[in-house]
Amino acid sequence: MPSRRRTLLKVIILGDSGVGKTSLMNQYVNKKFSNQYKATIGADFLTKEVQFEDRLFTLQIWDTAGQERFQSLGVAFYRGADCCVLVYDVNVMKSFDNLNNWREEFLIQASPSDPENFPFVVLGNKVDVDGGNSRVVSEKKARAWCASKGNIPYFETSAKEGVNVEEAFQCIAKNALKTGEEEEIYLPDTIDVGGGSQQRSSGCEC
Amino acid sequence: MISSDGIEDEEKWLAEGIAGLQQNAFHMHRSLVPIPKPNPNFVRLNFNSRFLDFKFVVVLLKDSNNLRDALKYSAQMLSELRTSRLSPHKYYDLYMRAFDELRKLEMFFKEETKRGCSIIDLYELVQHAGNILPRLYLLCTVGSVYIKSKEAPAKDVLKDLVEMCRGVQHPVRGLFLRSYLSQVSRDKLPDIGSEYEGCYSACEFILFGDPELRPAIGLSGLQGPAREKEKREKERSELRDLVGKNLHVLSQIEGIDLDMYKDTVLPRILEQVVNCKDELAQYYLMDCIIQVFPDEYHLQTLETLLGACPQLQPTVDIKTVLSQLMERLSNYAASSAEVLPEFLQVEAFAKLSNAIGKVIEAQVDMPVVGSISLYVSLLTFTLRVHPDRLDYVDQVLGACVKKLSGKAKIEDSKATKQIVALLSAPLEKYNDIGIALKLSNYPRVMDHLDNGTNKVMAVVIIQSIMKNNSCISTAEKVEALFELIKGLIKDLDGTPVDELDEEDFKEEQNSVGRLIYMFYNDDPEEMLKIISVVRKHILTGGPTRLAFTVPPLIFSALKLVRRLQGQDGDVIGEDMPATPKKIFQLLHQTIEALLSVPAPELALKLYLQCAEAANDCDLELVAYEFFTQAFILYEEEVADSKAQVTAIHLIIGTLQRMNIFGVENRDTLTHKATGYSAKLLKKPDQCRAVYACSHLFWVDDQDGVKDGERVLLCLKRALRIANAAQQMANVTRGSSGSVALFVEILNKYLYFFEKGNPQITSSVIQGLIELITTEMQSENSTPDPSADAFFSSTLRYIQFQKQKGGVMGEKYEAIKA
Repeated sequence: MPSRRRTLLKVIILGDSGVGKTSLMNQYVNKKFSNQYKATIGADFLTKEVQFEDRLFTLQIWDTAGQERFQSLGVAFYRGADCCVLVYDVNVMKSFDNLNNWREEFLIQASPSDPENFPFVVLGNKVDVDGGNSRVVSEKKARAWCASKGNIPYFETSAKEGVNVEEAFQCIAKNALKTGEEEEIYLPDTIDVGGGSQQRSSGCEC
Repeated sequence: MISSDGIEDEEKWLAEGIAGLQQNAFHMHRSLVPIPKPNPNFVRLNFNSRFLDFKFVVVLLKDSNNLRDALKYSAQMLSELRTSRLSPHKYYDLYMRAFDELRKLEMFFKEETKRGCSIIDLYELVQHAGNILPRLYLLCTVGSVYIKSKEAPAKDVLKDLVEMCRGVQHPVRGLFLRSYLSQVSRDKLPDIGSEYEGCYSACEFILFGDPELRPAIGLSGLQGPAREKEKREKERSELRDLVGKNLHVLSQIEGIDLDMYKDTVLPRILEQVVNCKDELAQYYLMDCIIQVFPDEYHLQTLETLLGACPQLQPTVDIKTVLSQLMERLSNYAASSAEVLPEFLQVEAFAKLSNAIGKVIEAQVDMPVVGSISLYVSLLTFTLRVHPDRLDYVDQVLGACVKKLSGKAKIEDSKATKQIVALLSAPLEKYNDIGIALKLSNYPRVMDHLDNGTNKVMAVVIIQSIMKNNSCISTAEKVEALFELIKGLIKDLDGTPVDELDEEDFKEEQNSVGRLIYMFYNDDPEEMLKIISVVRKHILTGGPTRLAFTVPPLIFSALKLVRRLQGQDGDVIGEDMPATPKKIFQLLHQTIEALLSVPAPELALKLYLQCAEAANDCDLELVAYEFFTQAFILYEEEVADSKAQVTAIHLIIGTLQRMNIFGVENRDTLTHKATGYSAKLLKKPDQCRAVYACSHLFWVDDQDGVKDGERVLLCLKRALRIANAAQQMANVTRGSSGSVALFVEILNKYLYFFEKGNPQITSSVIQGLIELITTEMQSENSTPDPSADAFFSSTLRYIQFQKQKGGVMGEKYEAIKA
């Protein structure tokens, strides 16, 4: 069969409530920003076409609910992710402390084939707030954590002012592409020569 | 079919579903290669052909093998979603896998249309899939490409899709399908909003295209056995995000501005929420509305939003909903000073306050703790948003009082905890007890606490004052404060104290004691008023409390006395209300109260303190009176011999410092003091008290008494007592006692010798030294190393003075040690 190269890349954005996951996605995809805080419910994605080494890819970016009570169906959408973006607010220590939980939770739930080398990207968002005066997580500290987790790429961003957002997602796409190309291909146990498979469903006729 | 271990079965069914899905997906992938050119045989089919058999249709499309296969396998793949054996959680797993596969199909469709394949034809073609569920998933997938192609008005496509999605009767499958539609059309909606159709239709699409909203969140009733009900509740709570997500999608549409939200979106959402008549769904949806829409919208639509609250089912946990709303709004207010005028303009506080009142009224079964926690949230809101509006704070407390009135004291510990939170909030906010004292409803709320919690709250108040070092400066405020902390000041409703742990009681009363020192005013008259108020209250405390509360009052008053005395003496006229004399009178009566405790030793100490203060104010008669009182206590009340020793030394020490007494008064008092000293129970105590009395006759001041003769008399008397003690020891133990007393007396001799008392001569000292030496060398003396050491260091001192020379050296020269 022809080996098709993948053109759809799946990216999951995780992080505490209010760190700016939705805003980062909107800034990247729609070049828009709103100061208003709106909680996300469940999971939601936007797509964006990206060009990389003369090839066109569709980046499918999944924005998620930071508040657990809005994630009632679970996280089945983690599966098949090519890259995971961990976001924290540089002005909120707790959101940084929680990065580890988000990372581990992701690895458990998404169960990627090679968890050691699964690409993450960390974004320290809201660097614009109060001219950086209310910042509580230093760049050094964040970089140290990233280094300790297998040299995770790190970006300091401002979704509000669009600082580093494009660069960060370029990097995210590049890393997602790496996983995408290495992904194993499903092979069925048996090839159904007849072409039709019988219906097992016991549900009603709908 | 359904066995007892349903979970295992479910895993099996899920695994089967995934296997079927993957296999078909595999075949589908193989078909997803572009069709070479537009197919001439492609037949446009109208809507009526929807019910033709899929196989029949693909026969018509012989040449487009790829498309045919892609559709066939994807339809088979999607058939796995027809299962009704999975819980929503597991079903979501399967759904997500299908979802991912459909993205590839969607891209394929997109490529096909770029190559000239008609999207309209595709749209109609997929409608020939045999089963409704796969058909609709395919239709939605093509539909999203269709909308993007702009070949038909997005509104019409969506309307068509929504209509058809209604055909799925099963609530869970239908809800997932709807969610799919909303998800795939999601990124097209902003376009619809801004460019093509106007937001109105987008909003209509999301809200009212959702026939599933009601049945799904209601999920068909609560009948059936309890276990079934539990399972259904769980399924419902898993599904709720699918419903909530619609609101999220709506909130992301830029075209929905405030006016539209206000006039159309919110009223219609609320209409649906109210009509669904299901408590869980209502709670969840209200929570969603508050969380997904921006704060400024909430602020501008408060009336509408809050108006819905009393219409919800009476069992809805509305207090959590409102608390979350108020918390969000407070955070919003804190985010920037610029938004504050908005709050005032919409009268946010009045509206919230009003709404809470209505909710409490409407939900008659709401437990007290529920209503109080609503008030706590409102109070937190007003403290954060309108810190300058004390009237608001008082209003909230007043509403709470109203709610509690007519009820017995609150016993429910959760409710009392909330009241403590309510009352603590203003203290924590303002760090100033003065503010709380201005709130007329504050004590009225406290009255509803049980006695135990009332005390806890009183301690919280005192701790706040201590922590902030707040000074309470008027009698009026002190009066109000005592009203607040009365639980600590006296027994309420005759509750006996005995239930209380003694340690706790001490801790409480000590805190009251510390509090008294926080009352201060520079103006002596106001300060006297304060003292009178304190006195009035603490005297109601009963014997157990007085010992803790009287001393701080006395010392606080004495501070005032010294302040008055420090001022120019002439200013204080008789007509002034705050004169030391009057204060002393008050103190006299206050200390008397301690006799009921009884605490004679404490009272005696306080009398002596007062006497000393009176001495400094040149009030001889007053000082004399205090001494008299102290002496009466000593004679009549202090019975314990150890207490007597302590008391007599205090008396001697205080009396020694008195300088206003005339000869007669002084003689009377010193005579009494020496008399008491000589009558102590034990000889050594007698001896020590008597030689201490020698200081009463020799005050080392310029104008101090210097009566050498009586000093000598005291010391001689002390020697006699020491001798007697020695003899007694001989009689009882057969050995002489320690020489310690003699050495101590020797040191007194040396003191007065140096001070120039003519009665104390070197020969007297010489004699005493010899006496001690003899005693120490006598056969039956008891060895006492500390006395020996004391004696030898005394001798060394004499030696040292001699060697030092000068006047003192010459004086010592005659003594041979």
